Amino acid sequence: MATTAPPAAPTTTSWSKEDAKAARKANRKRHRNENAWAAAFMAAPVIGWVAFLLFPMGFSIYASMTNWNGLGNMTFVGFDNYVRLVQDPYFWKALWNTVFYMIGIPIGLAISLALALALSRKIRGRTFFRTVYYIPVISSLAAVAILWQWAYNGDFGLVNQALALVGIEGPNWLMDPTWSKPALIIMAVWKGLGYSTLLYLAAVQAVPRSLYEAAALDGASGWKRFTKITWPMVQPVTFFLVVTNIIGGSMIFTEINIMTPTGGPSWSTASLVWYVWNQAFRNLQMGYATAMALVLGILVLIVTIIQFRINRANDFSID
Amino acid sequence: MRRMKTAAFAATVVGALTLAACSSGGSSDNASEEPDTSGGTAANELTFMFRGGDYDKLAYETAIEAFEAETGAKVKMIITDADQYATKLQAAIAGNKVPDVFYIEPGKMMGYVYAGVLADLTDYVDQATIDNIWDFGTDAYRFNTETGARGQDGDPLYGLPKDVGPFGFGYNTVLFEKLGLEAPPADEPLTFDEFVDLAKQLTVDMDGDGELDHWGTGLNVTWNSQAFIWGAGADWISEDQKTVTVDTPEFADALQWFADLGLVEGVTPSAEQAQTLDTYQRWMAGEIGFFPVAPWDIATYNEKAASDPENFGYDVIPYPVANEGDDWSTWLGSLGIAVSENSANKELAAQLATYLSTDLEAQKILAENKVQIPNLIDYATGEWIETDAPAAGWPANTKIFLEIAEEKGRPLPGIWTYTPEWYDNFWIGIENVVDNGSQTAADFLAAKQPEMQMLLDQSWVSADQAKAQG
Repeated sequence: MATTAPPAAPTTTSWSKEDAKAARKANRKRHRNENAWAAAFMAAPVIGWVAFLLFPMGFSIYASMTNWNGLGNMTFVGFDNYVRLVQDPYFWKALWNTVFYMIGIPIGLAISLALALALSRKIRGRTFFRTVYYIPVISSLAAVAILWQWAYNGDFGLVNQALALVGIEGPNWLMDPTWSKPALIIMAVWKGLGYSTLLYLAAVQAVPRSLYEAAALDGASGWKRFTKITWPMVQPVTFFLVVTNIIGGSMIFTEINIMTPTGGPSWSTASLVWYVWNQAFRNLQMGYATAMALVLGILVLIVTIIQFRINRANDFSID
Repeated sequence: MRRMKTAAFAATVVGALTLAACSSGGSSDNASEEPDTSGGTAANELTFMFRGGDYDKLAYETAIEAFEAETGAKVKMIITDADQYATKLQAAIAGNKVPDVFYIEPGKMMGYVYAGVLADLTDYVDQATIDNIWDFGTDAYRFNTETGARGQDGDPLYGLPKDVGPFGFGYNTVLFEKLGLEAPPADEPLTFDEFVDLAKQLTVDMDGDGELDHWGTGLNVTWNSQAFIWGAGADWISEDQKTVTVDTPEFADALQWFADLGLVEGVTPSAEQAQTLDTYQRWMAGEIGFFPVAPWDIATYNEKAASDPENFGYDVIPYPVANEGDDWSTWLGSLGIAVSENSANKELAAQLATYLSTDLEAQKILAENKVQIPNLIDYATGEWIETDAPAAGWPANTKIFLEIAEEKGRPLPGIWTYTPEWYDNFWIGIENVVDNGSQTAADFLAAKQPEMQMLLDQSWVSADQAKAQG
């Protein structure tokens, strides 16, 4: 970077006021140039932050306090949308359904960890299994949802045919309010299994072998080694997966919209984001939909903060 | 100072690149996939945004070619996926990039008119053109902003029909022949009793293995019950669109009768077998006697009839009614072509909308390829029904589609109101009446009416607010 050369360093004796002034001026000029460059490089993320976070957030908060159909002008209505939301039974129903879907998170993590432990061993076809478990992750969610819709068909669906082989008469999955949510959970677990397994596999393989060797010398059983070494060592991955799965799970929409486009029997599958989308684009209630979306965002934020707190309390290091 | 400028320029470039990367999801490919939907700015430029299949595109290319030759206009066509169209249009409106001409759903029209998005076409379309389009095709786009009334002749016109879609009823001709049954009449509707009687005769175990091989019918309550409810003299909403009327005895009787087709009479596949996809597949496999038939099904049904003539053949009939002499009806859908109020070339855009809706060559392409029945009354009731339709393979009783378009068709409930939320609410919990019978129709409707009425009232309040806000 070319800068103006500073004046020759003055000696104590020859330092005059003019020299000092000239030096300060040169410094200011040099710093001005540097500051300009610094500002230029900082501008990109700041512009991005303002354009994609601050402005949309501020706009959303304002929109949530308006009566707005997404087409015309907005009318400020204060907290009316939030009052309506509290009194709206379908909001609570959709919120409950969304929370219910979270049951799939611990189930998925448990299966993923078990698979990761199995795949970390030297078994035949290990690479094949790793690939097979990962295929659903890279498959289109829309395509997968359609396939599962067929698989869940009460009459000729693959799921019930498989259950029939072991003498179980399967339910009419997507048409039965009792089974529609579990059906979607099973699909979501299946879809996300490969990703979680991959992360767990990396974490399991990163556990120092010396810890297992020391535990073996002390006579620790396999279960003890899992609970005292493996589980704590993969905790950061568990934490990461729980946080991202809760955020992702709270936004569940596509599979519901495809598999149960009217919200399922007795509205048993309608998630909050599905309800938000319907209110915004079908019922032209953009202001109300924004209020619901903000409440969902705040709930997810609170849950995430709690998770961070819990994680910090359980944090440990190997010294 | 020069360095300051350089730095500012660098910042702008970096910022712009960052924004571009973010907006396109980091993919340079995607950035070029989003067309500019803005209306044309030059005197003869127009943008037309629509959704549809290959035949729609072919038909409109033909119409637009003729339009360009006649007017010297240049039309940019933007076609989107059907499931993304509504969201993209709303985004285009919010972003002030409204195309000059675009598709509009009649159910969403009120919000668009109040927001000043749609141009009033009344003065741009001559009466002779309007008179030659099915009444419903224009009434669906009439709206009185003062009274909130829809579908009234003489009110301002905010769109022209891309199509009118009669949701007809049909039967499997091959199955009727196989069982030695007389074909149902094409001129008179069956009564409910006659329909059940025939359906029972169609529900048989052909090979004696103890399992039913054919059923009388298999109807999805959400899409197929309207004609039966109307056929019993009941309706979801009052004529002034202000009162939910589902709590009447005739409505309860009709819904219970519909539910009992499966629960009591046993003439439909069981609840497990009757999932929509499954019922449709059974109809296509020749296992169902009566099933809906609409113009957009014709091409598929014809293919099936040609490939499997031993099991599948079909024709159209009127929907059954409760009692002899009752009037039958069914729902009639439509998609509209509207013009942007802020188009720089409003008159030319209105001319294009008229062309797309009524150009004879385009109508011929769409009808020949079984996408829709023609919009033009003189063509549909003349040359088309006499020669073109039979030649193209439309079913023998195609005239019933025209009858629906002319007088028997009604809009789906919810289309005439500001939002359809009140009507959507009706279907929540309907499986308790129709599939498992855990609730009687009367109990279900008594509980539903207040909830639907509240949502309808709310819809009117929203309409008033949208009107006030503009």
